[in-house]
Amino acid sequence: MKARLGLALPRSLSLAISLATASLWHRRKVLALVCLTLTLSVTLLLGIQYLRTDVKQSFTSTISDTDLIVGARSGQINLLLYTVFHIGDATNNIRWSTFQDLQQDTRIDWLIPVSLGDSYKGFRVVGTDKGFEDHFRFGRGQPLKLANGQWFDGVFDVVLGATVARTLNHAVDDRIILSHGGGRTSFSNHKDTPFTVTGILEATGTPVDQAVYISLQSMTAMHVGWESGVAIPGRTITPEQAESRDLTPNAITAVFAGLDRKILTFRVQRDLNQYTGEPLSAILPGVALSELWRLMSQFERALLAITGFVVITSLIGLIAVLLTLQTQRAHEIAILRATGASPGLIASLYVIECLALAVAACLISLALSAVAVSILSPWLLTQYGVQIQLRALNAEEWGLLGSVPLAAMLVALVPAFSAWRQSRLQGFGNPGES
Amino acid sequence: MTSHSESASQGAPAALDVTDLTFRWDKHQPALTFPDLCLSQGKHLFLHGPSGSGKSTFLSLMAGMLPPTGGKIRLLGTDILPLSAGKRDGFRADHIGVIFQQFNLVPYLTAEANVTLPCRLSSRRRAATDEAPARAAQRLLTALAIPQSHWKRKVTQLSIGQQQRIAAARALIGSPEIILADEPTSALDSDNRDRFINLLLTMAEARNTSVLFVSHDRSLAQHFHHQLQLREVPV
Repeated sequence: MKARLGLALPRSLSLAISLATASLWHRRKVLALVCLTLTLSVTLLLGIQYLRTDVKQSFTSTISDTDLIVGARSGQINLLLYTVFHIGDATNNIRWSTFQDLQQDTRIDWLIPVSLGDSYKGFRVVGTDKGFEDHFRFGRGQPLKLANGQWFDGVFDVVLGATVARTLNHAVDDRIILSHGGGRTSFSNHKDTPFTVTGILEATGTPVDQAVYISLQSMTAMHVGWESGVAIPGRTITPEQAESRDLTPNAITAVFAGLDRKILTFRVQRDLNQYTGEPLSAILPGVALSELWRLMSQFERALLAITGFVVITSLIGLIAVLLTLQTQRAHEIAILRATGASPGLIASLYVIECLALAVAACLISLALSAVAVSILSPWLLTQYGVQIQLRALNAEEWGLLGSVPLAAMLVALVPAFSAWRQSRLQGFGNPGES
Repeated sequence: MTSHSESASQGAPAALDVTDLTFRWDKHQPALTFPDLCLSQGKHLFLHGPSGSGKSTFLSLMAGMLPPTGGKIRLLGTDILPLSAGKRDGFRADHIGVIFQQFNLVPYLTAEANVTLPCRLSSRRRAATDEAPARAAQRLLTALAIPQSHWKRKVTQLSIGQQQRIAAARALIGSPEIILADEPTSALDSDNRDRFINLLLTMAEARNTSVLFVSHDRSLAQHFHHQLQLREVPV
């Protein structure tokens, strides 16, 4: 008897699976709609989780290989925001002599000086030097590349970020006028000192795309005669005059630094924070980025939670449909019971059907997401500078996807239990009618 | 009308042996009482009763699907009432074929799959077919005049008469000792009805299967070895 029971178990499971498959196929028109709802909500869930991972990846790789960012004394998020993301303004400048001191520091391998404050049609103007071209890295240590033309060389040369060039439709050799201060529509323009576009950068998917780059000398040159904050007629200089002047700046906004030996990072940071010449702040960009991400991640977590509720809602819809179908299935269940099927087998039909629908929904949404990502990723990069690539799912994403059939199985216990209870009392014909 | 239609023959246990059986749906309703009966293996009993006399309930009790309020049911020598629910389900799958009044078939299975269903629920009936269940089903369907073109069709596309004959094939497959039939002919016209009963009883006879057939139509009684009247419930 025991041996028979042991053998009967897998056989009854295979019977349940084949009955459930036939039953699903029989009711495919109604169930396809439920499955579609579930598929869409799972796609949404998967998509948001996928984007979360990718946006975080893209965000935390906004800047790479830079060990320290040094600016005037301020909070690390503020310093990160205005140097890397071009959001907000510097609290103060740092003296050129401080930069020269840093150049003398043997522990520091390279420096990128950054001078901010002006804008071009809403995009920031970044004054820098050749170090930017040589040492700036983003993503997984990728260097900047020019899509067209070459890096700035002379005074009044400008290199445009990819987004700037695309949105303003600029090409190499265009002449442009930069504005004093920030803002989209500035009334004080450096109209005496027009710049020539010498190069356009390739898209990076980082804030680099949304700025224009000039040399520190150009930055100084275009501000000659602007000491009072507005141009004093006759005191601004022409490109010809600029050639003969010493254009070394007095101050810059911040410095990106790379060290020879990474192990010294914290010591250099401490030394800079205790710099006696003037109050400085040195931050580790990776640490500051993850702190900033923590602030922003509240939103995306809320978004994920909402999507989770959408999935739960469609699962409840699925159960509602299965419970409605249950009344139609009374005869079929009476037949199965009378032929010797146990209430457990009847209940398992519901669990298997629900599980099959959820697995189908997950597989379809996987395929949908893969197609969507591969179609949309080039467009997203060029239009929004967001880098999203087709990649294998990570453990967290698999976990989230796997939780859908699990949840479906759990909610299937509702109709399964009610079917189990009803079928235990199932007699010939309808109960209550003798 | 004798209470015991036939006494158990020596050796082989009776197919059905029922004593002092009562049943009540709930406390506020009067109890249904059923006559004692004993049916030998291979004999066919016609149970007649007006509607409300508890015919379907009696079959549900015989099948072990409802627990009686009192009394004893011995099927093939086994007292089924002390068995666990799971064992009763197993006993039903192994030894009992059923035919309902209507809606006899699982709508999403083909005619053939409906017939082989008992073989998938009971290894005993699978073993008793002596050949592949599908092959046995096909032979039964042929014998019951279901054309081959209908075997792989959805049963919902078939006529009521065909559906009832397919249900008969399902009850007969694997040669169970007992067939319980609950007014299977009530939806058929008289030609179809007689043909159905003849086919069912002939094939049951060949398998030495006992048939317990309930109906309100007394004219059918002539086909059976024995008949028994169920009393009307006192109101």
